[in-house]
Amino acid sequence: MQEELKKIVSNAINEIKEAKKENDLLNIKSKYLGKKSKLAELMSNLKSMSIEEKKKYGSLFNKIKKDLESKVNERITEVNVTKDIDFDDTLPVEAKLGSLHPVTIVAKEVTDILKRMGFSVVSGPEMEEEYFNFVALNIPDDHPARDMQDTYYLDNGKLLRTHTSPNQVHAMQKYGAPIRMCAPGRCFRNEDLDASHENTFFQVEGMVIDKNISIGNLMYTMKELLSAIFERDVDVRVRPGFFPFVEPGVEIDCSCLICGGKGCPTCKNSGWIELCPGGMIHPNVLKESGIDPEVYNGFAFGLGITRLAMMKYKIDDIRVLNSGDLRVLDKFNVE
Amino acid sequence: MLISCNRLKNYIKDSANIDFLTIWDKFSLMTAEVEGVNVKGKDVDGVVVAQILECEPVENSKKLHKLLVDNGKEKLQIICGAPNVRVGLKAPLVNVGGHVCGIKITTRKLAGLESFGMMCSAEELGFAEGCEGILELPDDFEVGRDIKDYLPLEDIIVEIDNKSLTNRPDLWGHYGIAREIAAITSHELLPLDLLNIKNDKEDLDIKIKNPLCLRYTGLKIANISKNETPLDMQIFLYYTGMRSISLIVDLTNFLMLELGQPMHAFDARKVDSIEIDTAKAKDEFITLDNEKRILNSNTLMIKKNNDYFAIAGVMGGLDSEILEDTTSIILESATFDAASIRRTATYLGLRTEASARYEKSLDPNMTITAIKRLAYLLKKFDPNIKMASNITDVYPKELKEKQVILKKATLKKYMNIDIESDFIIKTLNSLGFKVKDQKETFKITVPTFRATKDISIEADIVEEIARMYGYENIRLEPLKLELSFKELENTQEKEYEVKRLLATKFNLNEVHSYLWYKTNLLNKTKINKENIKLLGKNEDNILRDDLGLTLIDMANNNLKYYNNVGIFEIGTEFIDGENRRALSIVLADSYKKQEKLFYALKEIIITIFKTFYNCPVSFVKSKSFDYYNENLTFDIYAQNQNLGFITSLKANVASSISKKKSFLVLKIDFDKYEKLKKEDFLYQNVSKYPTVTLDYTILMAKDKKYEVIKNALEEFKSPIIKDVIYIDRYMGEKENKYTIRYVVGSDDATLTSEELQDFKNKFINHIKKSGLSIIE
Repeated sequence: MQEELKKIVSNAINEIKEAKKENDLLNIKSKYLGKKSKLAELMSNLKSMSIEEKKKYGSLFNKIKKDLESKVNERITEVNVTKDIDFDDTLPVEAKLGSLHPVTIVAKEVTDILKRMGFSVVSGPEMEEEYFNFVALNIPDDHPARDMQDTYYLDNGKLLRTHTSPNQVHAMQKYGAPIRMCAPGRCFRNEDLDASHENTFFQVEGMVIDKNISIGNLMYTMKELLSAIFERDVDVRVRPGFFPFVEPGVEIDCSCLICGGKGCPTCKNSGWIELCPGGMIHPNVLKESGIDPEVYNGFAFGLGITRLAMMKYKIDDIRVLNSGDLRVLDKFNVE
Repeated sequence: MLISCNRLKNYIKDSANIDFLTIWDKFSLMTAEVEGVNVKGKDVDGVVVAQILECEPVENSKKLHKLLVDNGKEKLQIICGAPNVRVGLKAPLVNVGGHVCGIKITTRKLAGLESFGMMCSAEELGFAEGCEGILELPDDFEVGRDIKDYLPLEDIIVEIDNKSLTNRPDLWGHYGIAREIAAITSHELLPLDLLNIKNDKEDLDIKIKNPLCLRYTGLKIANISKNETPLDMQIFLYYTGMRSISLIVDLTNFLMLELGQPMHAFDARKVDSIEIDTAKAKDEFITLDNEKRILNSNTLMIKKNNDYFAIAGVMGGLDSEILEDTTSIILESATFDAASIRRTATYLGLRTEASARYEKSLDPNMTITAIKRLAYLLKKFDPNIKMASNITDVYPKELKEKQVILKKATLKKYMNIDIESDFIIKTLNSLGFKVKDQKETFKITVPTFRATKDISIEADIVEEIARMYGYENIRLEPLKLELSFKELENTQEKEYEVKRLLATKFNLNEVHSYLWYKTNLLNKTKINKENIKLLGKNEDNILRDDLGLTLIDMANNNLKYYNNVGIFEIGTEFIDGENRRALSIVLADSYKKQEKLFYALKEIIITIFKTFYNCPVSFVKSKSFDYYNENLTFDIYAQNQNLGFITSLKANVASSISKKKSFLVLKIDFDKYEKLKKEDFLYQNVSKYPTVTLDYTILMAKDKKYEVIKNALEEFKSPIIKDVIYIDRYMGEKENKYTIRYVVGSDDATLTSEELQDFKNKFINHIKKSGLSIIE
């Protein structure tokens, strides 16, 4: 009898699995568990069995009945649910999203890194006084440095800032020392536009003032910063560079991102790419900003955000950045 | 600036031990940026000194000559087209198999005659341009010798970035570069050979009448008979970017390239006495490039009464130029105020090699050395010259050496490393400084060639030591950790969070635009703007006082490619002479969508304030620029402040740039916005008892605005109102239908059906009394 039961159960389970409609399942149920089912017939044999056999088969019958019933019910739910998602699930979906400007994205990345290094983000005016743009930065009248920067002078005696460095003076005057700040912002130079020249571009200024700041601090900070920006371990090297508001002034190079320093066309086989100017803040700038250079010293650097954005996104024409052309800008999304 | 390594070798003892091809990597790291290193003369080989033995014209040819030439080994037939061929002339010959100009010389036929090699010019040897004949070599050149035995064609020419030399007047000549190389490689710098000139003659008549001339040194030299510049100097001049002109002019240029001291030679027939003073405004002067220059009252001139001889420090005059028959000259070796020269060069639009150097603040103590050096070289080439005056030196205020005290503690602070005193002293000495070690400090005497502006304080000396020690040897040092990371400002954060919301929730695109209005746009739209102007520009020169207008232009440009555009920027506007930060949003679509855009913009504003300040916004009818539609202009109020406005470009203005388009504009004064305070959100208990939702449809004539319904709803008060929500509007033919939802309930008990009925009755009555109809 056990063999027979096994066979019934396995047949029933197969049929339940195969069934696709609720009606069919109800028919299977009555076929295997109904009054005229084989099972019912076998159960009727119970009467003629011994007490021990009755016990054994009675509970077995019950178990089989219960199992099959729940299998049928489960399958009914299943076939009905399958019917619920009876739709075309292959239509295209558009994830609508605006975009942030690539410079905004890169500026945020850079300042986020600097913030983790303890820098506060500050800002300053784009229309600036000559005093802050030049004089306070140790760039007096007729200094050749003013040659290097073709300045947009305005008819009200002010100018459009040529670099973010005036923020050094603003920050020192506002917050004093010690301080760690960075200042991203637009800068302006009277340039003719072409694929690599813009009259409006972004920089981020960085400045640290404290007691006992060393050139090694500057180099360490730049290595950490650039490694974080480029998401790989880069080397930095510094060379002498002349900027009136720093002394010593340096050019900061970064190991070539393409060849890693071995030499390639991008780095003109030098293994290095020139990335940003910097140096130890000139004592005259500290003095002018109300900080005693005998007590405090510090470093500063200026990193080209526009240039970083172009490197990151491989933009080969700087003009698209200020073009407002959404066919290009819409691609940038938010992060 | 171009530097010849051959020349540098003359100034450094044991220079053979220096690898001049690779030293420039170090120079870049220690001194200034090297832009290129070019090897010269390697492309010339197989060229020998040859002599023409026979010379006859080739039949049926206008130019060609058939030559018999001795190349030291054999006598060759050469066919040559140069006009200056003659019997006895020594000239360079490229033998068959030799190279010039990247070409291999082979036996070839000219006019049917075979030529076994090629006579060549200075141009073909790579040190001149536009040569008309073959190079004529001096008679003492030995026939058959390799030309390179006589001519320094092989050289390494190094290009140094001028910008990296702006603070180093001493590096604007080879001798200064040699000093650096000597210091970098621990070699000895050799002194220059000078002519000792006895001051036993008369002084020249030189008067400095303006303090912008810092020093003027003159010398008259007579009996000059040579005019030809030696070939090696011609090669040097050519390789370093100059052109050989005549012996005297070449020597003045050579001195400028050697010492960085610009010099000038006047023809003594034209100039016999000199005064230095500014010009009379509007006077004219013809410079030796044959250009008429209009002077101004700040132009410093070399002159005599009303005769001008030269623009000081910029360029000499055509009139007093050295000519072929000049035998007597007055040499000028002077120093002028750097800023004055720069202003003059800028004013005249005339940048010369001389002015470029004077702008850097040259050392006035160099003038006598330069004059003695020039005299030495001239005498070497032309031994019969005579000094016809004393070295006449007018030097009103002598520049003395400067003292700088370097505290050892300062050096340690910057370098974070102990550097041996020996190294410091040796390094500074090799750069021309004198150093006295005084326990806690170094007393440093700065040579005047570094003292004009480059070195004046301690930090300047730190740089000298740091660069020569090698920045690559400095230990990287993390900053000390601070315990407080308090933010000083949060402007960037505020800007970024708004930008992000606009891009992600409202799918807007951020753009960046210029600070000035496009003239083109103003013309097209006939919008008149008065504001701060950029100097020196006639177009696109008015700074914007409305970022929105700039964005309208950008949005419009995009409407060529898109049906609708939504862009924004946070940027600077210039209002009442001040910088103001503004957030501006422009939504553009077809004119039919104006209402939709208007509400979209309202939703954006309300969302911004709700998200970041949890505060409500209200709109008050207002006015803005005259190109905006007054009927659609509303000031935005939050926390009792006017924070900006929303508006729409007037239809007639819009149609001047795009047909049937609508431009909705939002401006938020970001300076004010970022200072708002976030309003607290207070926890509110949810009633335990159920609420009831009641939807009503109110009808109103089409010419009326929702405001009427809004006022009616606000007047209706009841303690059981939990919420009133505007759901929808249906536009009928005569009337519009508005669906309003009331949520009613009590915190104390479930509403009874009587209470509910009472509410309904009262509400319907109220609406009817307000002159509106309601579907019951």
